[in-house]
Amino acid sequence: MTGLWRLLTSLKTCAWTSLAFALAGAAGSIVMGRYPEIFSDMDAQIFAGWLAGKGLGSPGPSLWLYVLLLATGLLAVNAVCCTVERLVQIFRGKATLRRLLPHVMHIAFLGVVCAHLASSVWGDRVAGVAVPEGAFAPVGATGLVLRLDRLDFSMAPEGYPKDFAAAVTLFRDTAPVARGIVRANEPLFHEGYGVYLKNFGPTPWGSPYAVFDANRDPGAAWVLVFAALFTAANALYLMPARRIDA
Amino acid sequence: MHGAHVVLFWLSLFAYGAEAGLQLGGIAPRSPFRSALFGGLLLHALFLGVRWALAGHAPMAGLFESLTVFSFCTALSAFLVCRDPGAMSAWKPLSVLVLLPQAAAALLDKRLTPLYPALDTPWFATHVGFSFLGYGLFAAGLALAWVSMSGGNEAAYRAAARAALYGFSAFSAGMVCGGIWAYYAWGSYWIWTPKEIWSVLLWVYFAALTHLKFIPPEKGWPGWTRTLEMGATAAGYFVMLATFLGVSLLLRSSHSF
Repeated sequence: MTGLWRLLTSLKTCAWTSLAFALAGAAGSIVMGRYPEIFSDMDAQIFAGWLAGKGLGSPGPSLWLYVLLLATGLLAVNAVCCTVERLVQIFRGKATLRRLLPHVMHIAFLGVVCAHLASSVWGDRVAGVAVPEGAFAPVGATGLVLRLDRLDFSMAPEGYPKDFAAAVTLFRDTAPVARGIVRANEPLFHEGYGVYLKNFGPTPWGSPYAVFDANRDPGAAWVLVFAALFTAANALYLMPARRIDA
Repeated sequence: MHGAHVVLFWLSLFAYGAEAGLQLGGIAPRSPFRSALFGGLLLHALFLGVRWALAGHAPMAGLFESLTVFSFCTALSAFLVCRDPGAMSAWKPLSVLVLLPQAAAALLDKRLTPLYPALDTPWFATHVGFSFLGYGLFAAGLALAWVSMSGGNEAAYRAAARAALYGFSAFSAGMVCGGIWAYYAWGSYWIWTPKEIWSVLLWVYFAALTHLKFIPPEKGWPGWTRTLEMGATAAGYFVMLATFLGVSLLLRSSHSF
């Protein structure tokens, strides 16, 4: 038991696991391009759904991903065990509170991992909701219906979009529940879903259409909170007086 | 004005070239702020400022702007972590690392990139700016680690460890800003693309690197020595290059130039 604890709190475990993470990630970045039929739609659904289907259905090409997930889990456990050990030392008076900052960063890292796990399991992805101007389209199985009230866009002579904005209304049970403008960097949020404008253009009969994605990431706010905590602790850690013996 | 601002780019390239030439010729400046590198940095900052005003967005889009900002941040890192007399010996390799991306940028199309709607957000500048600051500090890490390993210079060792830590911190902040931007622009703070995977890989690499110095040296492989730590710091530059250029130019990714 002592040996296992020593292994889980060891910095060498951190170093070797990080190396395994790096090698698996590097391999994965190449494998993903080789097997587009497996990996190209990873973002069109939540990760747990993809993993249960294509991920487990193609163990060979997905091997790098299993190593990546295993390494991430081990790094998280390693960070927690290291922090618990330090907290015990502080409680026994063997270490000062000043040495706690790296462990705030550990906790923040763990928070980001857990929040991302929550999004990967309980999130939702509704991709490719295509709707002509003035028409309605169901937003997946959410029970929401989206109406594209108006689409405005202007194109540069070079062919790229200079500006675009879609006025949309969301309905539930025929009653409008949210209304807003969706444009670049400005989605419409409602009931935990973000509605994003992904594509647009003219229909064959001339009127404009737009394609939307609707995503729900229940862990996103917590990812932000823990990322902010990490950044704050990191900034404090950079002050030399705090870094001594940390 | 559109074409004239490029003169500032060429002048900064000339100054960086002069610094690298002098350093390789064995002539070091008396102080960091009385060097050709400092002059080049000022001209470069002016160039980027004017270009930002002309383009209406941070000049960090496309391969030309990415390379020149990378060069700028590498030059800046000389003043952030290599100012001590002991660490200034790293200016010789570092001046070459400043010059190379700027010289590569000189070969590329320098026309202003248009303001794509997705770039019209402060998260773009903060994400890319912090990331490149991290890249610049990783370049300083390579130069300092090289000096530390070749001469056992204590000041260079400490500065190299600082460069890795500061670079990791800047890169972390860049990742946070990028996640926020991606969440608002594309609907998720995380997308499975080679660029994102390599970014996390780079982050994990330097996170582990900042822990290496706390592992006590021991006999046998790999020894966990300072040489190993400095070697890993130097290798980190190439992991960064693979993330920045390798993925963008060799693999298909949404971050491609």
